[in-house]
Amino acid sequence: MRSIEWTRLTSAGFWLTLLLWAANAGAHSASDAYLNLSIGAPGLGGPVIEGQWDIALRDLAFVLDLDADGDGRLTWGEVHRRWPDIVSYAYRHLRIDGGAGNACTIEPSRQLIDDHADGAYAALFFAVHCAQKPQRLTLDYSLFFAIDPSHRGIFVLQSGPATTTAVLSPDNASLHLRL
Amino acid sequence: MRPMIVLALGLALATLPRHASASAEAKPPVTVPPSAGPPPPYRAPYEPTHDEEVLQDVPAISDPAVARMTSLRRAFGAAPHDLPTALSLASAYIDYGRQVGDAHYAGYAEAVIAPWLVAQPVPSKVLVTEAIILQYRHQFPEARQRLHEALNADPGSAQGWLTLATLDMVQGDYAAAGKECVQVTSAADVATGLACSATLRSYTGHARQSLALLDQVQLGAATQSAGYRAWVHGLSAEAAERLGDWPLAETHYQAALKLVPRDNFLLVAYADFLLDRSRPREVLGLLANSVQSDTAFLRIVLAQAALKSPDTARYTWIMAARFAALTERGSDFFGREQARFALELQHDPQAALDLARKNWQRQREPWDTRLLLAAAVAAQEPRAVTDVLEFRRRVKLEDPVIDGLAQELRPGADTMAISQP
Repeated sequence: MRSIEWTRLTSAGFWLTLLLWAANAGAHSASDAYLNLSIGAPGLGGPVIEGQWDIALRDLAFVLDLDADGDGRLTWGEVHRRWPDIVSYAYRHLRIDGGAGNACTIEPSRQLIDDHADGAYAALFFAVHCAQKPQRLTLDYSLFFAIDPSHRGIFVLQSGPATTTAVLSPDNASLHLRL
Repeated sequence: MRPMIVLALGLALATLPRHASASAEAKPPVTVPPSAGPPPPYRAPYEPTHDEEVLQDVPAISDPAVARMTSLRRAFGAAPHDLPTALSLASAYIDYGRQVGDAHYAGYAEAVIAPWLVAQPVPSKVLVTEAIILQYRHQFPEARQRLHEALNADPGSAQGWLTLATLDMVQGDYAAAGKECVQVTSAADVATGLACSATLRSYTGHARQSLALLDQVQLGAATQSAGYRAWVHGLSAEAAERLGDWPLAETHYQAALKLVPRDNFLLVAYADFLLDRSRPREVLGLLANSVQSDTAFLRIVLAQAALKSPDTARYTWIMAARFAALTERGSDFFGREQARFALELQHDPQAALDLARKNWQRQREPWDTRLLLAAAVAAQEPRAVTDVLEFRRRVKLEDPVIDGLAQELRPGADTMAISQP
């Protein structure tokens, strides 16, 4: 194990190893979440808006200390026992609004695990209910931005045959969608 | 034996065969010919059945580096306005992320220094830290600008000069790097300056001198950290590779990895060495715990392909999916890996040539030059790389593989001596 003294900020050796290797190392596997909304056929209470939000377990583990025994292996038991915390943390960072006088609420339905190319994700399923049938939606996304500004939310809206996509970032955290 | 590939791949590839080589409990591998299109390796979202099922490897608290990050994070939480604490935490994040090849930590570091980035003026150490993050993300012009700002404010910043020298070496501006190494020597110490110029010499036709200098640095480094000594061994390994001295290169790689066994950069560099030596089976063992790093994963796929493993098509598909995810989020700093993927796994020389060219406009380390020339050979387009051959000649780049490629591209016109041990 390396024993660099992090307090020696001005010493010559500080960061040396990190520096001369930094460019070679390449930057990969940054944090992504996948937010999918689909607008179904009009039901009794207007169109049904459903969502699936996939959030990397390793990101959730970092903010919520999910690895209870600290052994470096996040198990299904450690995840499902913390679903309430995961759900409450995630939905605090997503707002969907139908415009003036048309408040919408996000109603979590269930949580599963979804495998992605770079690891396992929590798949959060939800429905969106608005006071009236929305003509437009405003979406405010802030997941992980405060702890990792390089996080990106990959957003896909499926409305009938039409698909809208966007990449949510700290500079592009709000979307205005016409339905 | 810890089923390493099993675990780490298991998370992403629940339905894939459970080990690189078929094992007793593995499902029979499904062979998909490359022409059949991508196989669908993922199941639909699911609920695991057993509490003990491992879903994801995460940093273990038993790892001293993780423990140190955790305690620095706590210290920063208690003193969120204390700049030295913030810089310590940011550098711990950057260093850990570099070690394990995980870009999340560069993002965490960015968040830690964010409050000071809006200060007027931005403290020079914060500028240098930001430059390191930007450089890690291959945002070279932005990194350069921050470094110039930092060095204007604090011309005695060894850290700033060293970062700038590194940046210029990565981009192939060796004249500028040479001047910056001189600044490093006066701002830091002789050993650091020596390491800086030794690295530079290995790129400019003086790999043998470079090795001698690095030996000197190593001799004086007995009391330095394992990370520092591993770094010098890593540089020596690369210099030995420039000379085609494979046994010496391997000795240094192994010495370095003995000091920092899971350093992503070293693991990947050694894996490339092994792939070049036609030893792919060793690559699978070496990188078994590194599948989360995209750079390491590419080498695993290359090793699978070299072994003609029936899993190659699936691994290739996953690598493509990882590149697609990076593209989706708007990242384009993985040019070297993507060019190599196109050339060696997708067998698309034209795409590889385009990607390698774009990458070379940005960074010009020997591997970048080698890939671009290899793509030009495969695409039979020698005229596409005349400027690259000219660069190689001008800087006197030594490398037996690159020498061979240059010969193929300009038969008879190559007058550079090919160094052999």
